[in-house]
Amino acid sequence: MREPNEIDFWRGFALVTIFVNHIPGIFFERFTFRNVAISDSAELFVFLAGWALRKLVDGPAKPLSARYLILRLEGRAFTVYLAQLVIAQLAVALLAGASLLLDAPFLLDWNNASAIFSDPVRANLGLVLLTFQLGYFDILPLYVVLMLVSPLIALSYRHARALLLPASLALWAYALAFGVNFPTWPVEGAWFFDPLAWQLVFVLGFLLAGEDGIGGLVRRYRKPLWWAALPIVLLGAVAARTEFDPSPIALPEPKLFFVFDKTFLSPARLLSNLAIVAVFAGAFHAIARGLPRLADFLSALGRNSLNVFCAGSLLSLAGQIFRFAYSGDVVSDAFIVMFGIAAMGATAWASEWRERLRAKSARAPA
Amino acid sequence: MGFGMARKVAGKIGAGSCIALALAASLALAQERAPESTPPSEAPPLSPACEAPAGDIAAPASLPHFAKALRERKTASILAIGSSSTSGVGATSDAKSYPAQLEAILEGALKGVDVVVANRGVSGEVAAVTAERIKSEVAREKPDLLLWQLGTNDALVRIAPDEFENTVSSTIRWLKANEIDVVLVGLQYSSRFSRDEEYFAIRNVLQRVATAENVAYVRRYDAMRFIAQNHANLQMMARDNFHLNDLGYQCMAEHIARAVIVGVFAKRRPSGN
Repeated sequence: MREPNEIDFWRGFALVTIFVNHIPGIFFERFTFRNVAISDSAELFVFLAGWALRKLVDGPAKPLSARYLILRLEGRAFTVYLAQLVIAQLAVALLAGASLLLDAPFLLDWNNASAIFSDPVRANLGLVLLTFQLGYFDILPLYVVLMLVSPLIALSYRHARALLLPASLALWAYALAFGVNFPTWPVEGAWFFDPLAWQLVFVLGFLLAGEDGIGGLVRRYRKPLWWAALPIVLLGAVAARTEFDPSPIALPEPKLFFVFDKTFLSPARLLSNLAIVAVFAGAFHAIARGLPRLADFLSALGRNSLNVFCAGSLLSLAGQIFRFAYSGDVVSDAFIVMFGIAAMGATAWASEWRERLRAKSARAPA
Repeated sequence: MGFGMARKVAGKIGAGSCIALALAASLALAQERAPESTPPSEAPPLSPACEAPAGDIAAPASLPHFAKALRERKTASILAIGSSSTSGVGATSDAKSYPAQLEAILEGALKGVDVVVANRGVSGEVAAVTAERIKSEVAREKPDLLLWQLGTNDALVRIAPDEFENTVSSTIRWLKANEIDVVLVGLQYSSRFSRDEEYFAIRNVLQRVATAENVAYVRRYDAMRFIAQNHANLQMMARDNFHLNDLGYQCMAEHIARAVIVGVFAKRRPSGN
């Protein structure tokens, strides 16, 4: 088990934020950082996932041949895919159970679930193909796609390092210029997180995690970058507080470059995310000194990010149902948040306990 | 890219031509005076099952950008966004969803024009999430008119009414700045929520925002309640007794078509956007 560290800590922070942000209307949403920024925890989560991939590729996976590296990364993609299937199915069951228990058929609509019940033949197929995504259960499908192509990222990093960033930027620019996104089916529409655009923040996380290339560059100019990023973060806070949002009509084509769009990861959101990272990088050490228990707790969540993410997604949905049943007020919202964060902590603890148990039994003679 | 295509359907010509017949009357009326919060007294007729008092159906407002597109290009695009009532849960097929039926009604009524209605309903979605989707859909599809069906889910998940108000009015202002007309399509009626305070509060917010921002508002709740109370023999609801059935969607489409058509022929108000 790793010691608490910066990446795990911020991953844990992103996980808690996502949990709260996915309960619409909850009182405590106002304390999450998207209220003072034009990006949110989704960008942070994907950025840190790219960062973690680099740590894997430079660390435990470094000695692996290309073939084993591909196998390892595709295995991870498969694990994430299974996780998505399991939580989507559990979410459907949660809605179905709640609709029976509360005699509330409209619960079957929540989070885009209705096609499962009204058009099960196609919707169940779409669920497995990831072309049918439940609302708020749309980050893991992006993550599956990113992990599916992660061997491409890792191998071009090994063999054609200079190509990685230009290729990623070009793909992102292409997606924004032409509004290209993956379609959804059977419910007509497009993915909430466009993988063609969002791969950029993943690749940037991957590149900035290293000591070479742009990673080295930002490390060398850390102080000036901090001063450059600070006004961007402050400007983002002003934009968020005043609800400033540029009007496409006044903007030149292609407009997706200029609006603050989440689906296509518009430059403003990307810049906001990078500036936040630049400003808060290193803050972990002060936090760990001042609030060691918080640092331990969030790092534990981040170390087990997939399991905790899955638990958090289901807890958010349970929170939504709870708010419906008990007409959410501050007190019940506080209960939801405390229960949810405790359950996410328990998930992390149970995951690590299970790993320790497995390690112990592996050491014991057969 | 096939995903950008709107659902194309045929049918419902009967209701459409009914409305067309009455257009001359409403046109003449609209030219005489700009509509106030009530529609012109001679509004397009509805099919008998969908009859309701004009005041219960909609508070129209002019739709200058949509009208301009029809006038100058003979074609206009409508983005129908919202939750399950837009995606068509409870309908026997996609062609029976309200956006598909609306397209046929409008093309029948407004002769010689091509109206494309794209369906972007995501069931169970709250307004704040729809508002985020609106931004990217508008940047991509560049519609002339946005039909935003909203409120039911916000009331059910207990969104604070002032938060809901803020989301809706800021999105409407953003759309206006982008020269896109908006029609708000209100909450549906359900006897279960007729006494629910939150439901009532969200309904009030919509009405208030529509008046303050001078946008058309389709009073689904009032029209549905009227029909439920006065045509008790007509089944408008699907088997779950919450979603609409095909007939329910037909009435919804007819009511929205009416607000749209009145809006097309309405003169701009002096304070118009």
